Amino acid sequence: MPARRGPPARRPRPRRGSSRGGRAEAAWRDFAASFVRAGMVPPAEAGLVAVETAEGAAVLILAPRQTLTFTGKCRLRCLYGSVRLLGFAVASHQPGLAVYSPSTHCALTLEALPAARPTAVDLRQLRAAARAALRAHSVRRQARVKAMAQFSPECAVVLLEHLDTPVTRFLLSYPLLSRVFEPQKKEESNFTPEDAVLASVGIVKCSPDHGLLMSESMALALEELIQACCAEDEGVPVVLVCGPKSTGKSTFNRYLINLLLNRLPSVDYMECDIGQTEFTPPGCVSLSNITEPILGPPFTHQQTPCKMVYYGQTSCEQDTERYLDVVKYVFSSYKKEVPLVINTMGWVKGEGLLLLIDIIRLLSPSHIVQMDVYDWKAMAPLTPEHVHLTPGLYTKGEQQAKRKRMGLSGAENWKSSEGDGDASAPEYKLLYVYPEFPRAGAAGEARVHSSILRDMAILGYLGQLQSPDIGTVLPLHSLVPYQVPFNAVALRVIHTDVAPTNIMYAVNASWVGLCRIPDEIRCQTDGPVLLTQTPVCDCLGFGIVRGVDMEKKLYHILTPVPPENLRQVNCLLLGNIAIPNCVLVGQQGTEGEIPYVTSYYNYGILGSGKLRKKKHFKKREYAFECDYD
Amino acid sequence: MAGRGELAWACSRRCLSPARKGLKPLRTVVAWRGRAEWDQVMVGLYCGDSRLQQEALDRVSAWKSRYGPKMPLAVDCTAELIRCKVLDSSGKLKSYELILSYGLALVRFVNLITERKQKMVSIPLRQLAREVDIPVWVVDLRHELTHGKLPRLALCRKGCDVVLDWLRKTYWSRQLGNNLCEESEDEEEEQEGVEANAELGNDSWEIQTPQHEACQKHKEFHEKVRDVLMSYKNEQFRVLQTVQSVSKSREMWFDSSSEVDWILAQIKDLMQENRELLAEALLSDGFLIPKMDCLKMLNIKYEANRDVWQFKIPQTFYCFWQPLLTGLLSQNFTQILLEKMFMELKECSDSSELRPQFLIGWISEMLTGIAKVNAGKKKQHCNKQAPVKELFLHKVPLQWIRLTDNCLEAPSWATAHLLQLVLTIMRPRLPRSSRKNLLYLTSVYTEGGGPLPSPGLSSDCSKQPIYTIESLQWRARQENQVKNQGQTEEKEEDELERDGGVAEVEEEEEMVTEVNPWEGLAHSGNMMAIAEKRAALQGSAWQISADEVQWKDFPLGKLPGQTDDPDGLMLDNYSMMSLLDQPVREDWKAPNTKSAELNTPVTGGLFWTQNDFHKIKSGLQLF
Repeated sequence: MPARRGPPARRPRPRRGSSRGGRAEAAWRDFAASFVRAGMVPPAEAGLVAVETAEGAAVLILAPRQTLTFTGKCRLRCLYGSVRLLGFAVASHQPGLAVYSPSTHCALTLEALPAARPTAVDLRQLRAAARAALRAHSVRRQARVKAMAQFSPECAVVLLEHLDTPVTRFLLSYPLLSRVFEPQKKEESNFTPEDAVLASVGIVKCSPDHGLLMSESMALALEELIQACCAEDEGVPVVLVCGPKSTGKSTFNRYLINLLLNRLPSVDYMECDIGQTEFTPPGCVSLSNITEPILGPPFTHQQTPCKMVYYGQTSCEQDTERYLDVVKYVFSSYKKEVPLVINTMGWVKGEGLLLLIDIIRLLSPSHIVQMDVYDWKAMAPLTPEHVHLTPGLYTKGEQQAKRKRMGLSGAENWKSSEGDGDASAPEYKLLYVYPEFPRAGAAGEARVHSSILRDMAILGYLGQLQSPDIGTVLPLHSLVPYQVPFNAVALRVIHTDVAPTNIMYAVNASWVGLCRIPDEIRCQTDGPVLLTQTPVCDCLGFGIVRGVDMEKKLYHILTPVPPENLRQVNCLLLGNIAIPNCVLVGQQGTEGEIPYVTSYYNYGILGSGKLRKKKHFKKREYAFECDYD
Repeated sequence: MAGRGELAWACSRRCLSPARKGLKPLRTVVAWRGRAEWDQVMVGLYCGDSRLQQEALDRVSAWKSRYGPKMPLAVDCTAELIRCKVLDSSGKLKSYELILSYGLALVRFVNLITERKQKMVSIPLRQLAREVDIPVWVVDLRHELTHGKLPRLALCRKGCDVVLDWLRKTYWSRQLGNNLCEESEDEEEEQEGVEANAELGNDSWEIQTPQHEACQKHKEFHEKVRDVLMSYKNEQFRVLQTVQSVSKSREMWFDSSSEVDWILAQIKDLMQENRELLAEALLSDGFLIPKMDCLKMLNIKYEANRDVWQFKIPQTFYCFWQPLLTGLLSQNFTQILLEKMFMELKECSDSSELRPQFLIGWISEMLTGIAKVNAGKKKQHCNKQAPVKELFLHKVPLQWIRLTDNCLEAPSWATAHLLQLVLTIMRPRLPRSSRKNLLYLTSVYTEGGGPLPSPGLSSDCSKQPIYTIESLQWRARQENQVKNQGQTEEKEEDELERDGGVAEVEEEEEMVTEVNPWEGLAHSGNMMAIAEKRAALQGSAWQISADEVQWKDFPLGKLPGQTDDPDGLMLDNYSMMSLLDQPVREDWKAPNTKSAELNTPVTGGLFWTQNDFHKIKSGLQLF
């Protein structure tokens, strides 16, 4: 989801005693926050203590509850006390965490968690422990002394280090992303020495209202979900999160998962939003097992899911039936051992809402989080009763189903195939979340266009091709590709009909899903094998068709999929997800003209652009509403 | 040769880039591999032959896949309308069905194209259509189709033709910088040069293919070329007629119209098919070699006295053909055309007709043009008043030794002049002494007189031994060998030669070999990884591609040895496969079918949170 900005998380976190503070803490915080709201206390911390310890490393000392909202990236390690980042509590035993807070997304806020007030006896021990931790991470003596001067037993000591990985190097090598970790603009004119220290690490402090805003309803919903997930007696919860675009579904999910990971070893995550995927490149429905906290946007944490199907489009309007098939297929591999968080599409109008109702029937969640803006009546409350009675796009509502059942018995009705879908309404708890950040629900005003976010995710995925031991970025075209014979893998273009004789024109230099179908590829000739329909099958990863060798009948493919998995791939699916333009345009040092790249295409000429869906054209005479989305 | 060409190109690119920064258009991604594919589809769609049109439509279907939702509207609309025409000419549909097809395509065209111009408050279609020059009756036709009676087929056909013509004029002809006189032409020409360059290595391939082509096809092609060339001529004459003044029409010719661009695009497409034949056609009577009536029409007096023209083409005639030639003279084609010209000259050098005179004139004009552009005298024609447009916008490194041979094989009264031009332009140069001797020899042979007074060469060469063609060829072979050994040696050789002669100011391009810092690393560091991968793929259809290939030299979508032939990716055989059992339905009912987990952390196996885990790991010694 695009950038979220708002006042910082100043509201209490769950009032229940899930953390040590409990009710008293919450009350105290509310009290304190009220001063801030009234403008009586400057919202910023009294003064941030940051000490440079080495080249590109700094120690940060945060007073209890002191926060730091920042843009940039770094490796974070808590040396003493504990801090919280997007819901995830980091204590001193955590290994270093890669933290990404790009300017394209809601900024991360680092917050020191309060510790119990120590007794006088502990004090010395605590100081010693902190000093030992500093020493253990080879903080120089000078810096150590400087840091310890600011030490108090309740504070948190955090070590921040410059973060530079092959993936980040790769991402930053593209103009599209080169400034992604830089702040949009310098907000404050006074540049303190602390700022300089932070800058050397790679982060820049920004105004707290660039961070996440936690609304009351969100806090309540989170609390309830945590409780449900950590309860021993009931079955594992299945949480479905829905709501229109730009209401903060992704951020909510990340926060929820991070909170759960404080208490559970892992959480399952099912991605049904094919336009903005969290852990995979776009166009996929997937099921992932999450064990690490999510401390950055999708392009920083691409990972191999347990199950993935390549749908091949960024929206499912054109083929909702296959979309449902895909969702069912992926959900079938969920083992119901750990809680599941399901993310859904922002398409909640018209057919989209009907489809959502189908999905709710199919996945039968235990909790539904419905995110919606107060004044924007996009969708009716999805109460169990409502869902029970309303027909979906493919499933029937209660009355209809009854009538139908009386009429024909063997009707292909998912509702009935799902078990005894009796008269009883589905049982789930509906949680309403009202986002309160500015621009909530205003999809058009997102800071970053959704297609750019998709490109970023793809680049993040391709970053895995960079080898870890080389300091420079290897351009994609310089890498040694894999090759596979035409007749060893089936081929299918998902989104449009291509004349078979011309199919290689579509495949060359394209983004393909590397899939596995159960069927054996049988082929008498050495020519390519074209599938007559789009299979719903496992996708093991993605690749770029680097070239098509028409003489030797080979595809050359660049992919980060490990060879053990690659050898199972027997089907290439081509959808309308394209290689980011910057990958093709930015190729340097090659011989001759770059295929598919030109400087001479003039978009100024009428008809040169794409088909645009019109939103609202007002006729002169009367207002005319188009129900496009 | 190829290596040399690239370097020249790389150099010229380097020299140009700073200046160009300001106006450099944005580089975008398109669905066609290159210009040739675009031209091929455009010509295919508009050629009128439904088989070729169908082929072009097939290619457009691949474009649609590449573009996804970003497919340009105009391409989509053109394809839809052409599809109707193809259906129509197949005779498979009755008129009613055809009306429906045409109707939808027309409605879509009018709506989609005008919608782009719509503002927040909608503007009447008629007004929008007027703004973009769509005939009002087409808008009315749309109205009839959607709200009224279905029109007659004839009207639909007419509408289709008019709209297709509109699309051609507004979109296809203007797109991809087809306007020759635009500043931006620059780089494209250059790129074309490179493209041609890459093909040079495949000359043998090019020559072999026509062998099995039927004579008939050859003839057809020749006629096609002639037709297009005729249309060019007619268009230029039409311009002349409209302004009624030769001098004015010269200006008009410079700023070539969209009509000319369209013709040019067609010729370029034909050129892709067969350069040799195009060159032949150009040199057949009536085109570059005019007939008398043509000269009369252009108000050019023919002077039998060859000295009057001074090895030049009459201005008006030059201007008449310049737009076409400038568009065609890529590096590759220049070489071919010059060779053909010399060959023609050889055939007719004795005759005193127009032919030899014009051949010599053209060769001389071309060589002078190349000399200018290769010398790096960048276009001073920024001021449009400059009377004569250049034929070449970019450096054209040619196979000079071959041209020298050709020149010598076609002796005529002008050989000494032409040879001198060749020898001055050629890089690397022949040794100074050889040049001198050759010139002397030719002048002896062709004119029987003393050598031409030539700047930079002393005429004192009477004591030199006499060279023959054979010695030149021997020399040429030696040169070639040297050249093949690489540029560095080439340079050294050059230097050595210079020692012997008068120091000349060499404006030879500096050759910069880029050193790629990762190259070495990629090899040492990745070899292990590659070996591991290779082992993991043992026995699988998937393999590691040959790593001795210098992949970094080839952009994505291009493989070593692949040409820019727009038909290069066509499939001749493929098989279809249908999937009988789709796993979905059963899987849904029985969730525990063959699960396909990859690297799945065993979800049930973990009992600790990340926190617990790290706590345990770190030994928990806080207190």
